[in-house]
Amino acid sequence: MRENEAIISWKVAGLALGLLLTLATFLVKPLGVSTQFVVTDAIAVHAVAPEAAESNTYLSKYGSKDDWGVGYGWMLVAGMFAGGLITSRLLRAKQPQADKGSMPPMWTAVFGASRGKRFAAAFVGGVLLLFGARLAGGCTSGHMISGMSQLALSSFVFGLFTFGSAIAAAHLLYRKRG
Amino acid sequence: MNTLVIGFLIGGVFGAILYMGGASSYRRILGTLLLKDMWIIKLMCTAIGVGTLGIYLLDLGGLANLSIKPAYLGGVALGGIVFGIGWAVSGYCPGTCVVGAAEGKFDAVFTVLGGLVGAFLFALAFPVLDAMVLQPLNFGAVTLQDLIGINAVYLAIPFSLLMLAMAFFVLKDRYE
Repeated sequence: MRENEAIISWKVAGLALGLLLTLATFLVKPLGVSTQFVVTDAIAVHAVAPEAAESNTYLSKYGSKDDWGVGYGWMLVAGMFAGGLITSRLLRAKQPQADKGSMPPMWTAVFGASRGKRFAAAFVGGVLLLFGARLAGGCTSGHMISGMSQLALSSFVFGLFTFGSAIAAAHLLYRKRG
Repeated sequence: MNTLVIGFLIGGVFGAILYMGGASSYRRILGTLLLKDMWIIKLMCTAIGVGTLGIYLLDLGGLANLSIKPAYLGGVALGGIVFGIGWAVSGYCPGTCVVGAAEGKFDAVFTVLGGLVGAFLFALAFPVLDAMVLQPLNFGAVTLQDLIGINAVYLAIPFSLLMLAMAFFVLKDRYE
């Protein structure tokens, strides 16, 4: 498990992320991702069925006004995709083998080599992630990293419940391995 | 510069850091959640330590565009529990699944699609949840310094040092 570290160490990545958060807070506002899943939904629903989008009290807040829709936050997530795409194409050879591919070795060791099973879990996990993030008002970036860095009470509560729940769920999933 | 361009550039660096730092890796996330490989939590503590210091130094000069999330504690706690289960099951969070998808990982693509569905289901359930879970126990945009009643820097500096100490000295990997 230890054979490779990563392309950059956690120290470099953590320092860079902290500085990037500071820069973003200076230029526009702190980092956040999960809202943009709603914005994307809202843009899609506004395009297909505008009346349905306007009648939903949550979706109607996004996707129509100038500042929402494709704004700073949505472009940030689009940029994340671009940044991941470019660096992964350039640095693939340096990425540890265990971090590559759609079937994590750790998963297949316990749950088998079925792609359908892994993708179903990834999908269901995604549903829970974004339902939970929207209920809580943020995710790892907006709540934990940006929120705790601003010393927001809600973000500490989120961090506590998220880590508690995720640690319990991970131990339950991998209980066979002890 | 246009905020859309700034957003795209900041996002680009964010995505690159997550990829290069191994944050879009299943074994790193699950390793952290199984309390064996502390890589991700050390990365996050370092980011929060540096970010807290950076943000409150900016704030001293009145230069920080803060965005404090409201503490509607029912929704935050319940949402955190649901989010945590999704995190452990998928091995991604909303940001890292976007980066994983960009790398060409199909499981990450499914997490993104699931996320779009989850956000949509939340929008449908919003009127009910708003009345039942979000409105009660809403304390507004409260920070720890508001609660304690001291100047933010006096809290930011020790908290920042605590986070950095956690990352560099306290958290240790455990392997069998």
